[in-house]
Amino acid sequence: MLLARVEGNIVATRKHPSLQGWRLLICQPIGKDGRLEGAPQVAIDSHGAGLHQQVVISSDGLAARKAVGDDRSPVRWLVIGVVDEKEPGVRA
Amino acid sequence: MFLAKVEGAVVATKKEASMSGRKLLLLRPQLVDDKDPTKFRPGVNTIVAVDTLGAGIGEMVMFCQGSSARLAGGMKDAPVDAVIIGIVDTVDVLGKMIYSAKT
Amino acid sequence: MKLGTVIGRVTLSRSEPSLAGGRFLIVSPFGREQYEHGLDAPLGLGKDPSPVVYDDLGGGVGQVIGYVEGREAAQPFPQPTPVDAINAALVDEMFYSPFK
Repeated sequence: MLLARVEGNIVATRKHPSLQGWRLLICQPIGKDGRLEGAPQVAIDSHGAGLHQQVVISSDGLAARKAVGDDRSPVRWLVIGVVDEKEPGVRA
Repeated sequence: MFLAKVEGAVVATKKEASMSGRKLLLLRPQLVDDKDPTKFRPGVNTIVAVDTLGAGIGEMVMFCQGSSARLAGGMKDAPVDAVIIGIVDTVDVLGKMIYSAKT
Repeated sequence: MKLGTVIGRVTLSRSEPSLAGGRFLIVSPFGREQYEHGLDAPLGLGKDPSPVVYDDLGGGVGQVIGYVEGREAAQPFPQPTPVDAINAALVDEMFYSPFK
């Protein structure tokens, strides 16, 4: 799992059918102090994470396939939690 | 997957029973050069990959890594993490053919 | 899923039987610069290694795609198929706002 910050989202009309209807968030991995760590990952989200909110993302493909309800989905990264923050960038 | 040039072969007589009869090749990954996309730049690491397609030294191949490699034919129970899955015919980058097996 | 720009195509003369007829694209992975420039940025290549991805969505050179790497990339195939990177989405729009 990685700590990440939501930095946007993408829209794709042609995609694997299992991704239909899912929010696809651009998640930038960060460290404890908010420093950037590597390239962003696009993750599916069912928690309604907002722009610039910190989230925990996981690369558990099995959990991601369960979430989308399709064993033949290539989905891998999913948002598994929205971090409690007092304000963007300041954890509670 | 990545592209790679076949640089050589390795022979190991003493090996895992499930590896008997498998051909192992040494691969040098070929990455599109970001400074000049009409060229490849060699990757840093040499990869050992199983070959079932009969790739020859100097040929360009495409290989698959990780647990996906075991999904190649006959690899189900083999302790492998890299398999050659294609012999490359052509590579086109930004409208230019930068590799052809025929030349 | 990562984002990347399709920069090329690979054709094979021989392949693993399960991959016969497959389409393969070369991708230049997005770095932060590409995210900041957006989808209609001129084709500048990033420094990261350029993977080859399996494509059945019809991606073409210049298009931005979302691709998945790892064992998950083989999941869509009904038969065991040795694929470790696959095109999962043709990106039409991107909203990107880095946190300052």
